[in-house]
Amino acid sequence: MSEYLLEMTEICKSFAGVPALEHVNFKVRSGKVMCLAGENGCGKSTLVKIISGVYSKDEGEVVFEGKPIAKITPAEATKLGIQVIYQDLSIFPNLTVMENLAINSEITAGKKLVNRRQWEATAKEALSKIGYHIDLHAKMGELSVADKQLVAICRALLFDAKLIIMDEPTTALTKKEVDALFKTVCQLRDSGIAIMFISHKTEEIFEISDDVCIMRNGKNVYAGPTSELTPKDFTYYMTGRELTDDHFVAKNISKEPVLKVEHLSLKNKFEDVSFELRKGEILGITGLLGSGRTELALSLFGLERPKKGTITLNGKQVKITSPIMAQKLKIGYVPEDRLTEGLCLQQSIADNITLSSLKRLSNSFGLLKHQDIIDDASIWKEKFSIATNDVNKFASTLSGGNQQKIVLSKWLSNDLDVLILNGPTVGVDVGAKQDIHALVHQLANDGLAVIIISDDLSEVVINCSRVVVMKEGKIVGEMTGDKISEDNILEIIR
Amino acid sequence: MNNAMIKRTTKRTEYWIFLVLIIMCVAIQIASGGQLLESSTVVTILRSMVVDGMFAMVCLIVMVSGGFDLSFPAVAALAYSLSTTICVNMGWSETNAWAGFIMAIVIGAVLGMLNGWIISNFKLNTMIVTLATQTLFIGISMGLLELKEITSKLPLGFRTFGESYLFEVKSSAGLRSTMTTMFIPFVIICIITSLVLNRTMFGRALYAIGGNETSAERAGYNVKRVKFWLYVAVGATCGFIGMVRVCMARQSIPKALVGQEMTIIPAVILGGASIFGGEGTVFGTICAVGIITVVSNSMLLIGIDSYWQDFFNGIVILVGVTVSAIQAKRRNK
Repeated sequence: MSEYLLEMTEICKSFAGVPALEHVNFKVRSGKVMCLAGENGCGKSTLVKIISGVYSKDEGEVVFEGKPIAKITPAEATKLGIQVIYQDLSIFPNLTVMENLAINSEITAGKKLVNRRQWEATAKEALSKIGYHIDLHAKMGELSVADKQLVAICRALLFDAKLIIMDEPTTALTKKEVDALFKTVCQLRDSGIAIMFISHKTEEIFEISDDVCIMRNGKNVYAGPTSELTPKDFTYYMTGRELTDDHFVAKNISKEPVLKVEHLSLKNKFEDVSFELRKGEILGITGLLGSGRTELALSLFGLERPKKGTITLNGKQVKITSPIMAQKLKIGYVPEDRLTEGLCLQQSIADNITLSSLKRLSNSFGLLKHQDIIDDASIWKEKFSIATNDVNKFASTLSGGNQQKIVLSKWLSNDLDVLILNGPTVGVDVGAKQDIHALVHQLANDGLAVIIISDDLSEVVINCSRVVVMKEGKIVGEMTGDKISEDNILEIIR
Repeated sequence: MNNAMIKRTTKRTEYWIFLVLIIMCVAIQIASGGQLLESSTVVTILRSMVVDGMFAMVCLIVMVSGGFDLSFPAVAALAYSLSTTICVNMGWSETNAWAGFIMAIVIGAVLGMLNGWIISNFKLNTMIVTLATQTLFIGISMGLLELKEITSKLPLGFRTFGESYLFEVKSSAGLRSTMTTMFIPFVIICIITSLVLNRTMFGRALYAIGGNETSAERAGYNVKRVKFWLYVAVGATCGFIGMVRVCMARQSIPKALVGQEMTIIPAVILGGASIFGGEGTVFGTICAVGIITVVSNSMLLIGIDSYWQDFFNGIVILVGVTVSAIQAKRRNK
């Protein structure tokens, strides 16, 4: 038997004549972690579906454990020992942990009746595989994402998995949870299981993987050991362009602060927070989860009501009690979870972009013209190079990066003084991240005051001309210019 | 561990519904001067729970799978009117009721097949499909077949079966009340529903599909097949329930059940079934049906105009749907 568990050679697949995969080659070794990397829409998920038997390949050869596999069904893939942990984890939130663990193997065994004792034994066996402890009778929906993920991993292990494919498992996890997950991944790797880890996050890939396969536009542009790559090469392969980390340098900072926050306090969230913000600068607010950074942003947008302290806007003291009021005061807020809080996914791109400027677009009778909406949206499409050929398409048809661009243009299509960005590039791939950063830089230089709230330190360092560090609800440090570095911030946070 | 179990129990909707039922009974008992817990009143209330209770089971099992069946009263009505009309037209005035029951069950199953086929094959919203088939079934019954009311001509077998009873009680005031034999099928249907939901892979499939349909498919369930057979079983059961109703009422009126779904569905939601699917138990549903029946039966006892019943039903819908939505919200957090 060869040293490879899975060998994919010259895989091709097209949908309705449009090639999704072109001559993809890679190999997975037992007891190693292989990362499949690439920007959104590069064919990663198509490839996974071919391995798991959901799609059939058009051309090429798949060899598993030395034996060529012509065509497989999902059930056969399971029998061979291939398990996929999808991004949504495929769990049942309304059932208990025990049921979630046992149900798949019971179905596979072709059972007709439910034997509680058997289910419990199966569930316990599953948990023991990675020595994980959790209340078997807890409802799945009430667990944290990290716990749900571990349950999903345990469930996969019940099928004597030889290859576990994890589809972007770190998307919804905090840094601490990611560390815990990586520990489990290493544990599985050391027990001889091959892990295929799908991600687009550079740091994670270098931390966890032995081998890497980078895909771009349906082709694999690199396949080999991770150690032979530098992060710079990696980004180049991912995006196909040389990306340079353009540090933001503020060019036109106004003399007078546009926003002044003094002694602002919100019970149990943050205390005595004061800072100033000038036009043309990008202020970073960073800190760990729970440091109060998000609540501070929400207070500036009228979604939280601080009890003490004052907010001064353009020299006038204001009380911001609702998002509508914040908008009137020319403050914009882009939430962290843009999918649920910032976008109507099932509406057209044009409708999303113009959503908060309908008043401006309507005539004196309050009526709207469809063409005006399209025209207005098209301007932003050009300006932000949103990757679509038709602004009438649903927002859900776009990738994460492009969705973020829509949210931004929605706000910018109204005249703003202050723009608050919460985690502006969470879940966005490297290329789109770069575009968004460049855009924010340009906006600031055009005279907008920007606040970036993020726990992605590299993002803060690249983009901000001034950084405020929060810890346990208090501002514990501030730095400007050359003083801003990841090490300096970390030192204060710890 | 024990603490955890108590915590889990108090989190469940059934527990609270059961408490509400008990508290309400006590309150009405006091307000009505001890009339509610008279043996004759209790028997009357249990008797009026029979048909609604069985329909609630049907409704529950569909809601667990994440569906909404608006057509069940129409299925039952078409099944029983057609079945009794055939019995009458064949001149089986002396036959036993079982022939009518078998025919109604078969007709119900066929109608359910139509529902199931459309829902599973075209992956359409169950509420819209059953809204359409409901109207369709009423149309078939009234227009195509021109089914008429059958009262005095009702076969004798139906009548005797409907009048049979298990036991008789007398209240202190001398009021007589009989416990109908139909209570047995009610109990049996509840037990079967509970066993199917909890002890069979089919039942767990319904919960799984209601919780996350994509995951159920990935886990290896044949979702299409499960849904199809669910609606066939539901249709057959509706046919049976319809015949129970005909026997108890001693008449077959094609339009009698129109709009019934609007009182049953709120009761099931109140009992803990989620409007988004995946939640709901037999015990909770029975308690909720109990609450509604107790209230509508005891309004007169405590001197409230029965017009208030609609008002009460409205409150039940609001409370039930709100609780269901809040729970779903918490779960998704």
